[in-house]
Amino acid sequence: MTVFKAYLKILNKNKFLVILYTVILIFFAGFNMQNNDTGTSFMAEKPDVLIVNENETDNVTKNFIQYIEKHTTIKEVQETEEARNDALFYRDVNYIIYIPKDFKNSFLEGKKLNVEIKSTGDYQASLAEMLVNRYFNVANIYRNVIKDEETLLEMINTTLEKEVFIEVTSKLDIEKFAKATLFYNFANYSILAGCVFIICFMVSSFKEQKVKLRIMVSSIEYKKFNRQLLFSNSLFAIVLWLCYVILSIILVGDVMFTNQGMFLILNSFIFTISALTLALLIGNLVHNKEAMSGIVNVIALGSSFLCGAFVPTEFLPDFVLKIAHVLPSYYYIHNNDLIASLETINLETVKPIFLNMGILLFFGFMFVVMTNIITKKRNR
Amino acid sequence: MKNVIEVKNLIKEYKNIKAVDGISLEVKKGEILGLLGPNGSGKSTTINCILSLLNFEKGTIQIFGKPMAPNAYDIKREIGVVFQDVAVFEELTVEENIDYFCGLYINDKRLRKQYIEEAIELVSLNEFKKFYPKQLSGGLLRRLNIACGIAHKPKLIFLDEPTVAVDPQSRNNILDGIEKLRENGATIVYTTHYMEEVEILCDRVIILDKGKVIANGTPDELKELANMEEKVNVEVDSITEKQLEEIKKLKNVDEIYYHNQNLTVIYKKGKNNLITLIDYFKKESILYDKIYSERPTLNDVFLELTGKELRD
Ligand SMILES: Nc1ncnc2c1ncn2[C@@H]1O[C@H](COP(=O)(O)OP(=O)(O)OP(=O)(O)O)[C@@H](O)[C@H]1O
Ligand SMILES: [Mg+2]
Repeated sequence: MTVFKAYLKILNKNKFLVILYTVILIFFAGFNMQNNDTGTSFMAEKPDVLIVNENETDNVTKNFIQYIEKHTTIKEVQETEEARNDALFYRDVNYIIYIPKDFKNSFLEGKKLNVEIKSTGDYQASLAEMLVNRYFNVANIYRNVIKDEETLLEMINTTLEKEVFIEVTSKLDIEKFAKATLFYNFANYSILAGCVFIICFMVSSFKEQKVKLRIMVSSIEYKKFNRQLLFSNSLFAIVLWLCYVILSIILVGDVMFTNQGMFLILNSFIFTISALTLALLIGNLVHNKEAMSGIVNVIALGSSFLCGAFVPTEFLPDFVLKIAHVLPSYYYIHNNDLIASLETINLETVKPIFLNMGILLFFGFMFVVMTNIITKKRNR
Repeated sequence: MKNVIEVKNLIKEYKNIKAVDGISLEVKKGEILGLLGPNGSGKSTTINCILSLLNFEKGTIQIFGKPMAPNAYDIKREIGVVFQDVAVFEELTVEENIDYFCGLYINDKRLRKQYIEEAIELVSLNEFKKFYPKQLSGGLLRRLNIACGIAHKPKLIFLDEPTVAVDPQSRNNILDGIEKLRENGATIVYTTHYMEEVEILCDRVIILDKGKVIANGTPDELKELANMEEKVNVEVDSITEKQLEEIKKLKNVDEIYYHNQNLTVIYKKGKNNLITLIDYFKKESILYDKIYSERPTLNDVFLELTGKELRD
């Protein structure tokens, strides 16, 4: 407890920098979020859809059109292909659905492409596309089992009623989710800087040669002292991480409680562990407090830039990304991006995510091994 | 009473020098033992070996009748150490520093609080409780360093040159504090190369040189070794060769040195030597200025034993 108490006191005197790193995080992540904020207005808006029906209005077609009408805003333009293209171009329409002549039959037979589409390819278009896909996916489930046309349509409708809402909200979360990813990418800097600065500072304070002698002649077991120091450092890292998680929930909201959000949180936790071990390694290597802020900048800023915490990785030159492979931050940020693009959760899709987490843990393991080698050498 | 510390035949070698070369020593309960020696004589090394901070090549060390080892925590609990170099946390105040180091020994919160108060009192840092080490002068810092080492009321205290580079006021304060610690029943090992301190403070002195014990005894016993009883220094206006010869023949005079109007007369034994000398000056009408008589110092002892000065 003694070590922990002194730790808290010294931490309290260095809180300013940690707060600064956090403010930077809120400021930049928050600022970038504002930029993307137009997304919120999208969300309420239904996509504008144009239906080109070359079919007679049989029940099957009608049912499909009704479904689309219910969830989108139906637009009408002149019945020429040119007018339709213009409408797409000027974003009067996000999505055009061409219902072919033999729609009913091919639908009932379960042929692959029932409709043709044209799309602006933007966010609302993808929403419309999602609606269409959903309809046919649900239809596929029942088509083989239910042969009666009327019952089939009824089953489709009731199922869609139940599920469409949930699915739409989860798709709508894409915008929020982009913000969450942004926040967590940026947190790479704050977690690294906070951990490396504070933990290095603490290790060099407590293990300063002369102060260490005092501990070695005292009746406290040196191993026990080490454990207390490790515990304090770990607790600090975890509390810092927890603060950032809470902060993310405040900033981006309940999207953090979805599966993807949980993955982001888990990923950042594992990254925090590797940041902690890295900080312990550096703390045991460098005992010079003056050099500390320089080291923090090199490590936190350096790896944040190289690994794309501030700039999306697509904009970074290839060779930079190659260098970045030796840094834990790369796998953390890469993982954030993977999680962001996670459509469905199954063994195939989460495998690369867990692989990256494994790499992060391996980094942590290597840092611990190196720290042990160094301290053993020192003590001799 | 049994010995608190018993060191037998301690040898500690660094690459090619023997920093400690076969030292044996005992420290009795309740005494202040002075370890006196010039720079590099092996004082700190000896203490660090006794504390199990250093591995040593040969020898046995017993404290409180038990063998000392790095994991002898029951022994360590009763020991307080004040290192030669100041070792405190820059980020903690005077009070917080003492609290931390005392907390390594004392878990009971209330007891610790009382001990901290007493330690601060002992080194007179009351006004500086909330100060940070950076805000303290060298002397005050040394006093904090001492408080950190002894706050847990150890039975055995090691002080390694606690007064190096300290102003006279702090020095007196520190020496008073050590005296008080002894009064409270602590056994103290005190390292220094200031012989004056040793003479005031120590019950027994061990003189080290080149890693060896060259003398061991009470200050008075050691002064016997200096092979003189009294030393008289006079500033004279002028004096002839003949007069110097005559002074040398005065009663009890052993040796005289004359240099730059400074006359030193050394007596091996006897009393009233000063009066005899002054009488002679009157008779010969020799004008003199300051005159003072000195008992031999430990420096003289050191000089006698090694042929060199304690301090360079
Ligand atoms: N780590 C070390 N490596 C090599 N030699 C050392 C080391 N520490 C001390 N020595 C040598 O051992 C000898 C004794 O040193 P020690 O520090 O014990 O002297 P000391 O009596 O405490 O001197 P001081 O009055 O300067 O503190 C010296 O010659 C010193 O140079
Ligand atoms: Mg020394």
